Amino acid sequence: MKAEEDRREERRLVHLDRDRPLVEAALRNPEAFDGLYRKYLAQVYSYAYYELGSHHDAEDAAERTFMLALGALTRFEERARPVDGEGASTFRVWLFQIARNVVANIRRGRGRHPVAPIEAAAEMTGPVDIEAEVGERYEAGAAWAAVARLPEERRRALILRFVEEMSTAEIAGILGRSEGAVRVLIHRGLRAVARDLGGRRW
Amino acid sequence: MRERAREEPEIEALRVDRYLESILVARDRGARLALLDTRLDPALRSTADRLSAELIRVHPSFRFEERLARRLADLAIGLRLPAVAGGEGGLPRSLTPAGGPAFEPGVAPGELLDPAQPIDDGEPFGGHARPILIGGALTSAAVSLAGAAFVAWRLSRPVHPMVRAIRAVHGRPGHEGGLA
Repeated sequence: MKAEEDRREERRLVHLDRDRPLVEAALRNPEAFDGLYRKYLAQVYSYAYYELGSHHDAEDAAERTFMLALGALTRFEERARPVDGEGASTFRVWLFQIARNVVANIRRGRGRHPVAPIEAAAEMTGPVDIEAEVGERYEAGAAWAAVARLPEERRRALILRFVEEMSTAEIAGILGRSEGAVRVLIHRGLRAVARDLGGRRW
Repeated sequence: MRERAREEPEIEALRVDRYLESILVARDRGARLALLDTRLDPALRSTADRLSAELIRVHPSFRFEERLARRLADLAIGLRLPAVAGGEGGLPRSLTPAGGPAFEPGVAPGELLDPAQPIDDGEPFGGHARPILIGGALTSAAVSLAGAAFVAWRLSRPVHPMVRAIRAVHGRPGHEGGLA
């Protein structure tokens, strides 16, 4: 009876990770990893860019992350359960765990600190209203600079929340913290940024 | 009293979390308004709104994307060869949760992925038209369509008469420097 329940549970697990078809395809034929790569490149690159502050370093981090992920794909273990809900993706959490460690290694190795992506904001194209555009760019830079000044874990949590639009649960999985701890990290980070932005004149 | 003071930040953290969720939900539905919780500190709310609007996603350049895709394809071929030689094909493991220990990319034992965590949306662009930066240039989420359109435009461009003339000269019989 118990064995039957376990088997039923496993059958349910099979369809929970929304990336399961792509992961299974990549396990059958590693060249099919391209599907996962295309799906998550922008997210991983973006995360690395906000953490490292330069396109060059972000490219380096993205490259290492995906090469590591492909090489270790056989060791990926899906852990989504029925309680995780329809469309859960543990692959994304796993991938970002790799990205988080790659980024940390790059930061340690190069001794660099995150910088405000002013150069990126300055290359934005769009509005014709130059005055308004310059103001917007400067403010965007200021908002990011305030985030960049945060302690590592708070900054990381805010990037995953605001840039990657991840749920608290996903961030908890990536950072290896409880959901409650992540909520506190985000709250404190947001409070510090509010103070920082409120105390500065643009 | 002391107990209440200790709980206060946690309650506010929960309110912030709920507000951030509502921002995402509102955006997914194409709405502008998020949950209005009057108990939430206005400074926190406006900072959340501002970060949500200004911390935009950044996309790498097409050149980098394709270069890394080629490197991954090369690695994939290398990974496939041993399996093909062994008659298996593909990577040697299924995804069943009963498999071996999970890969931990340099994560300490206490930092393991908690299977109890509910995970949601894995869409690369979150299903909404949020602006992103491609190698520093602001664009929409339809990056692949833009790339395809550019290639199609290049292919459909009429060849300049001077280019045709050069090709004709280089393509003449006996000319050693003929263009491919």
